[in-house]
Amino acid sequence: MSDKKTEPEPQNPRRNFIQKSILGASTFAGLSVASNAHASVENGVEDFEPEIINEVDILVVGSGSAGITAALQAGRAGAKTLLVERSFQLGGTTTTGGVAYPGLFDAWGKQVIAGIGWELIKESVELDGGKFPDFSKVPRSHHHNQIQINQFIFALLAEEKCREANVDIAYYEFPSKVTKTDKGWQVDCVGFGTKRRVLCKQIVDCTGGAEVVGMLGFERLREKERQPGSYLYQMGSSHNPASKQLHRLYVHGADSTNSRTATLANLTGRKTILEKVRRDKKRLMHLQPETGFRESYRIVGETLISVQDYTSGRHFDDAVSYAFYPVDLHTRTGVRPKPLKRGTVPTVPLRALIPKGSENIIVAGRCVSSDRLANSGLRVQAACMGMGQAAGATAALAAESNTTPLKVPLSKIHGLLQNHQAIIPSKA
Amino acid sequence: MAVTGIIAFIQPFSIEIIGLHALTGFLFIGVVVGHIFNNSVALKKYIKSPVVLGVIGVIIFTTLLFYYQPAPIKKILGLSGNLGPALDLFEMDEKGMTYRYSPDPGYKMLIDLRTGPAYALKNPPRLAVWLENQSLYHIKTLYVSDTPDNREQLPYWAFKVKGWEKAQKEAEEKNLSLEDSVDAVSEATANGSFDPADYILPTEQNASMPYRVMIEVNQPNDPSSKLDDQPSLVYEVEVDNYDPYTFQLLELVGFPVLEKDTEKEEWYLSYADESIESAFEIVDSVLLQIDRAVDKSFFKSTTSP
Repeated sequence: MSDKKTEPEPQNPRRNFIQKSILGASTFAGLSVASNAHASVENGVEDFEPEIINEVDILVVGSGSAGITAALQAGRAGAKTLLVERSFQLGGTTTTGGVAYPGLFDAWGKQVIAGIGWELIKESVELDGGKFPDFSKVPRSHHHNQIQINQFIFALLAEEKCREANVDIAYYEFPSKVTKTDKGWQVDCVGFGTKRRVLCKQIVDCTGGAEVVGMLGFERLREKERQPGSYLYQMGSSHNPASKQLHRLYVHGADSTNSRTATLANLTGRKTILEKVRRDKKRLMHLQPETGFRESYRIVGETLISVQDYTSGRHFDDAVSYAFYPVDLHTRTGVRPKPLKRGTVPTVPLRALIPKGSENIIVAGRCVSSDRLANSGLRVQAACMGMGQAAGATAALAAESNTTPLKVPLSKIHGLLQNHQAIIPSKA
Repeated sequence: MAVTGIIAFIQPFSIEIIGLHALTGFLFIGVVVGHIFNNSVALKKYIKSPVVLGVIGVIIFTTLLFYYQPAPIKKILGLSGNLGPALDLFEMDEKGMTYRYSPDPGYKMLIDLRTGPAYALKNPPRLAVWLENQSLYHIKTLYVSDTPDNREQLPYWAFKVKGWEKAQKEAEEKNLSLEDSVDAVSEATANGSFDPADYILPTEQNASMPYRVMIEVNQPNDPSSKLDDQPSLVYEVEVDNYDPYTFQLLELVGFPVLEKDTEKEEWYLSYADESIESAFEIVDSVLLQIDRAVDKSFFKSTTSP
């Protein structure tokens, strides 16, 4: 059913531009502004004169759950790594979105996701004096095994770990143009007052919506209607991180496809919260800087994880990480998670992280190649961390041996991941 | 026969009353056959009377009504204190136990538990079989070993039943149906009383309504190399009441543990670990079979917006 609603991304750039403009007109006011902004970026690209040139092995774009772990894994494997982030801090949905309950690392009494993501979560909880759920208990519901973390501690720890792993961070920047070169890629990034040219062997696209993959013209999928986003805030009582979840407001139609749709979501969410403050006459004690988005584009990968693969716990031959969460599709009326059957733990194959027909680029996070229902479970932060580490390891190995991610021997990827405490799916 | 029939309708199920009712039924049939045989000539003339034909018609009509049970008739039958439990059948032998539940001609449930090598019929393990709703509340105990120590030996079931009894009491005090107070998945019955049969009767369901069949089993005084007495084990399977599978195996969930950090007595299930040994072998397997006859076209036409 969802497949019928899935719309492939237009391949023609001009048609793409027109369609995006129409989308803007149909969804919110300010079409002309939006269109002009888009055009000015295009002009800016043509006139690009870099102020800084970085030559690195790996460029990781986006620093959410997947991007942090990808960058840290690549850095720890010895690859020279640059992490580019459009916002002002690391963590993405965990920190900027405020969804500081990163999902499930345990399934059926055993840990299934570990490695760098778990290290970050564990240290965040310990530094904050927090508590873990008792994982020996059979949870009455999946959320009983959710770990609550302090989003602020998490962001600080992630930065510290990047420093220790020699991962350079570039905030407020985003790629504006990507060009193939003999050695890999030339990526021109723009931030305010900054024009940076990055020469790299591999790109790890952790933007959530596979933005770099889209810029390169590879096929992506997107639903006609996105799941609602969540704007998190606290009203009436103070925000006590990691002890109580923030108040949540559904932002229907929230879409992180581009800066215009993301702007609209944020404006809508904040406007509604302001109305609520006036209506309820309570103090606003905390407000996240951005909407937590659930979906935008997904790549068309070398393989696709279907909901049947996901709910049956299919063990892919090239599995690189586990994922564990109910099928969790949010709609206008809310969400009714469909738990996985006892013993089921889905796997993520390497080929679902590689855009079909591509070379020297790999993705991780919620843009993983999957159908919509499978994606509703795969998009959760813990799974994204597992994917991110696998993508970082694969990219580092590919850069080291001057090959493309698809040609890196699986045994080498597994070996590197195991050396960094990740859990590799086994058939047992 | 009329007396035993009325008693059987009013009172909860009693094998003695049903036995007497069956006996009087057979005697009545014998008397009727003898009566027809002795008065056949007179009856032939008598049967042509319009009054008698009318009476026969009424008898056929009411028989059909009570056989097909349209809603008003069901309402009348629902007043009985007998109908649900009378449809239970539990049997146990050296191979294991079977439990049959058939609250409706179109709905048959069979739980077939096969025993493992650690099962001993002479000193059978304590066993409880019950249903839980989506919110994990106990809604009906199908079977529990009739032993004085069953609550002690089956602590998880006992904990669940205790919660149900408490909720039922509170509901009665507030003049509410239990469903309102414990978030059960069924609609309230017409007379407002709590009848779990309403929940698993399929005829009124028009949406997916999962529930769980649970089993707790415990062999008293069965030490392992790490424990003086191994705990009970809990098995479960989730059933989609809208579209159940015909066959499903129950799976091991874990063993009950008493929560330490709470004032109230709370039990939770812990994943089974290496301290459990022979307890795994009390039960070989538990198969749940559900045969249901429902016109699904009705649901398809009413559930989609």
